[in-house]
Amino acid sequence: MAADPISQFFAEFAAPGHLATFEGDSATLRFDVDDDSQVQHWYVAVRDGDVAVTRQTDAADAVIQVDRPIFEAIVTGRMNAQAALLRGVLSCAGSMAALMMFQRCLPGPPGSTGRVAPITSQTVMAQRRPK
Amino acid sequence: MSDQLVQILEGNTFVVSDDRGDIEASRTDPTGLFSFDTRFLSQWVLTVNGQRLTALSTDDLQYFQTRFFLVPGSGTVYVDAKLTIIREREVADGFREQLRVFNHESSPVDLAIRVEAGSDFADLFEVKDALKKKGRYGSELADGCLVLRYERETYTRETWISSSEPAGVDEHGLTYNVTVPAHGEWSTHLDVVASDGSREPAHAQAKDRPTGIRGQGSHRVRQDMAHGLQKWLQKLPTMECDWEAVGRIYHRCMTDLAALRFSTLTLPGRALPAAGLPWFMTIFGRDSIFTSLQALPFTSELASTTLLALAERQGTRIDDFREEDPGRILHEMRYGEMTAFEERPHSPYYGNADATPLFVVLLDEYERWTGDTKLARDLERAARAALSWIDEYADLQGNGYVSYQRRNEETGLENQCWKDSWDSISYRNGDLPGFPRATCELQGYAYDAKIRGARLARHVWQDTAFAERLEKEAADLKGRFNRDFWVEDGEYFAVALDADGRQVDSLTSNIGHLLWSGIVDESKAGSIARHLLGPQLFSGWGVRTLAEGEARYNPIGYHVGTVWPFDNSFIAWGLRRYGFKDEAACIVAGIMEAAEVFEGRLPEAFGGYERSTTRYPVQYPTACSPQAWSTGTPLLLLRAGLGLEPQGDNLIVDPALPMQFGHLQILDLPGRWKTMDAFGRGRIDTDRLTTRASGPS
Repeated sequence: MAADPISQFFAEFAAPGHLATFEGDSATLRFDVDDDSQVQHWYVAVRDGDVAVTRQTDAADAVIQVDRPIFEAIVTGRMNAQAALLRGVLSCAGSMAALMMFQRCLPGPPGSTGRVAPITSQTVMAQRRPK
Repeated sequence: MSDQLVQILEGNTFVVSDDRGDIEASRTDPTGLFSFDTRFLSQWVLTVNGQRLTALSTDDLQYFQTRFFLVPGSGTVYVDAKLTIIREREVADGFREQLRVFNHESSPVDLAIRVEAGSDFADLFEVKDALKKKGRYGSELADGCLVLRYERETYTRETWISSSEPAGVDEHGLTYNVTVPAHGEWSTHLDVVASDGSREPAHAQAKDRPTGIRGQGSHRVRQDMAHGLQKWLQKLPTMECDWEAVGRIYHRCMTDLAALRFSTLTLPGRALPAAGLPWFMTIFGRDSIFTSLQALPFTSELASTTLLALAERQGTRIDDFREEDPGRILHEMRYGEMTAFEERPHSPYYGNADATPLFVVLLDEYERWTGDTKLARDLERAARAALSWIDEYADLQGNGYVSYQRRNEETGLENQCWKDSWDSISYRNGDLPGFPRATCELQGYAYDAKIRGARLARHVWQDTAFAERLEKEAADLKGRFNRDFWVEDGEYFAVALDADGRQVDSLTSNIGHLLWSGIVDESKAGSIARHLLGPQLFSGWGVRTLAEGEARYNPIGYHVGTVWPFDNSFIAWGLRRYGFKDEAACIVAGIMEAAEVFEGRLPEAFGGYERSTTRYPVQYPTACSPQAWSTGTPLLLLRAGLGLEPQGDNLIVDPALPMQFGHLQILDLPGRWKTMDAFGRGRIDTDRLTTRASGPS
């Protein structure tokens, strides 16, 4: 059976124990991931850069509700979290600021390289020539 | 067609209607009730006994409140009206409208009052581009309310319409069959709430009513508004000037800035400047930063909120669709359906090359004015990430210059500098360069960001080694820039280097921003100042975006000949920075005189025609007014005219004002010095200094 991308994401997220991007930030988030038959929980605690992930169900600053396929897409970069929120496939009760903080650690889309081939002046001019 | 009105509440809920208060939008017609980039009402038409109404007058009471005086009938038939209708509307999470019907006759009258309502739930992008909707429409009558609904998969938007008086509700509106007594009055309230479909937890007076899309009850918000505007105006420095227009301009600016305030969901109770009313009521990295810089001597709240909001959304990953990189500051944020379904990249979109260095510039300038070292410390990580972006992600050609080329070739922006139209960057002969493009002002911003980053590193972050590294990099950049961008035969800086490192050699207003950034060698500054005030660039009102004589010059071309007030305000600041007081005063005079003509509300741009030819500045047709950085322009011009500059814990005042100002005083300028007053007297005869040809008088 292939590894569960959500468990894998949280394992990698928590592994270093400390993430510089969260220094100065503190918040707790609970992800309630609906997997058809059951709801699975991941509880993220951030304290000035120190991060820990457990499976507890305590109250949190932000409680995020999401279906498993959507969350799998989000933690693998195939769906944008902000877009998911606007679409209504992910909801956040409590602190939006906490969710905004958390999304910093989500990956970009697979296949994004940050690179693009240069375009010559001739090409630009040809595109702009009146028809 | 009637004149259109705009009104707005803090944030991005606004109504555009005709002068009767009616909304009759077509797919592409920009009227309606909008919230979070979605149209929630595209039809809202009031009739009495089947008759449309005519406006006798319309009062904009506040930027969030309008009153319409109406009579039945259309055209000239209303003269003998027996009825008057007053429609008063306030925007909140939607809007609330009070209808009052007055019977002027001595006998009672039976009336059928009808409000026709409908919504196309268009995304702002769809309104602009006339695109087709992909979801389903529906409507429902619930608990005396009319609910209009749009659904696409899980994406839901609803408009809830309810009435204080009993009404006959159907799927297309509300009808009141009422008898108004002789010389009597009948009235009702109509509430329109824009919702994302989520429900408030069971509530005492109304079960299952929606929460507003901002997640707030509309009444609570509205009550704070009038109070909020008063408080905002009272906190500002007071200004007096012999030239009376200056006082009017100042008041107009400050009221418009209040209307442009925008709160994000993550920073409730704090406001940043949105880019423009009504279509750009959202966070734009560049516009919010420039406007915050302009307003900084008068209010620092906009700057601190802008910095926090941009830092919160600073890029952390590579995303080619959104053009996101680690450390990059966003370009534009949107909330509509097309963004939700990733058909547009605005969640947020990062395609700009200037907001990231400008973020560091604003942070430093903010700290210099306010002494708020806490924010400068809190944002240290964000500022360092922005500084890293300049070297690691913005140097696309590995030549030590910031350049841009879009990675999202479908919906990304071609020109990722403030002159973002397709033909804004050209060679003298009109040819367009390839990509990447390294425009000159980007190098100036990068230089300034390093210098200012070094100051913050030394004095706030206590990292001398980092400060020294940044200063060395800045000095190196300045040296190379003054060599590589200098157009020898014209004695100015090229607007850009192209992909081959060749100069894009047209003469543009961009050289003025270079003075502001401080990247210009002292020995070259004199030529730059001469060009800025010379006949090719200076129109008599201000500096043209592109010089007369260049192949693409057009006095009414968007970025190729018009005069942009915001551009000029930074040029004036730049001229002051290099000690060109007379030249700065000429720009202050020209743009303030234009502002007087526009009754205090400067447009985004006006024609680059020679002043003596047209006598009046010719407004460039534009959809947005007020526009944030045009609104902020007079504030920065006042700063430049008075020579306001923080130095340690003191505020330096070194006036160089045009004569027509007479005496100018600004009291209670806030800053690390608590408050200071600034005085100046206009002594510079700018008419004599400018090269404009004298036209017929």
